[in-house]
Amino acid sequence: MADVLSEIVLPEDLKKFEKIYHEQLYKNDVTPKAQFEYAWCLVRSKYPADIQKGIMLLEELYKTHEEGQRDYLYYLAIGSARLKEYSKALNYVRSFLSIEPGNQQVVSLEQTIKKKMEKEGLVGMAVTGGIVLAVGAIVGFGMAIASKAKS
Amino acid sequence: MDEDILTTLKILIIGESGVGKSSLLLRFTEDNFDPEQTLTIGVDFKTKRLNIDGSRVKLAIWDTAGQERFRTLTPSYYRDAQGAILVFDVSSYATFSKLEMWLNELETYSTKNDIIKMIVGNKIDVDKREVSREEAMRFAKRHHTLYIEASAKTKDGVESAFEELVHKIIQTPNLWDSYEMNNIHIGNKGQPNQSTCAGYCSLV
Ligand SMILES: Nc1nc2c(ncn2[C@@H]2O[C@H](COP(=O)(O)OP(=O)(O)O)[C@@H](O)[C@H]2O)c(=O)[nH]1
Ligand SMILES: [Mg+2]
Repeated sequence: MADVLSEIVLPEDLKKFEKIYHEQLYKNDVTPKAQFEYAWCLVRSKYPADIQKGIMLLEELYKTHEEGQRDYLYYLAIGSARLKEYSKALNYVRSFLSIEPGNQQVVSLEQTIKKKMEKEGLVGMAVTGGIVLAVGAIVGFGMAIASKAKS
Repeated sequence: MDEDILTTLKILIIGESGVGKSSLLLRFTEDNFDPEQTLTIGVDFKTKRLNIDGSRVKLAIWDTAGQERFRTLTPSYYRDAQGAILVFDVSSYATFSKLEMWLNELETYSTKNDIIKMIVGNKIDVDKREVSREEAMRFAKRHHTLYIEASAKTKDGVESAFEELVHKIIQTPNLWDSYEMNNIHIGNKGQPNQSTCAGYCSLV
């Protein structure tokens, strides 16, 4: 089921906000609103290149437009997690929570990210290579059992 | 486990900023309340499993930010929703006046014709009330929506609101049946509407 990390932007939405952004870019007058709306669509794309571009636009906004910083941080975390750049995503989450401790929405995003990492067998990624290998082996073992149980 | 889930329903929560949408959701999903609930960023999402009429359903609930700056993008989340909760704050007439606009927006962007709509008058714990129950009920009746009063703070009405909405959706198989691969028998499908609360709901 679609959650905040897997729901996909409608192609027509992406096109629409891309057009608005590019029109403003052409006139050399991009508003934070247009840039944010386009970035919001991009980070929800199914194509990693789009997400990457969305992240770039959000990083730029984050530096130049203080008013929307919490929004940008939140979608930077989502974009990074969608690219499977989990430690980066969790860093964004942590900076957010250091400003707004206990923010419900962001705490639950953190949980969603961690669940996704667990599913992909990535827990313990930060530790040394040897241990990662061991974790990988255990996950492989677990999956073998799971597939046996199914058949 | 997922196997005995009858269906997954998509529910939307919309309404002006500050009326208590996120608080209602937090109360419903985690039985919690935060007096300093912060502004929702864009769109938030939570799930909850529920037993209704003898069936287990999973709710995928999308909570939208009512703020102007997210308005252009939130309607794309209305797609495929089977139920919508429109929230206003009973202590603010302005938020009630905006319901008409929210209903229009729902009309424009929702993709299911028979989407079930429920209006929730929130914050009934607050002393200074600006919208009477009668006026809200008349409005709901005129727009063919359910109506329930609630307080995310005290819990009153919160669970009944979601349950009543889901009950109504389950009674409208058109809304969800075609999504299921295999038809599982539901509790009282096919029986006439037995709800004591059909259409214009009783209040808490
Ligand atoms: N007294 C009272 N305050 C509430 C209730 N529900 C929400 N609030 C408060 O109203 C404010 C806005 O709530 P929030 O859930 O963020 O509204 P949203 O913008 O619609 O999501 C917060 O300070 C909440 O604590 C309620 O039932 N009673
Ligand atoms: Mg909110």
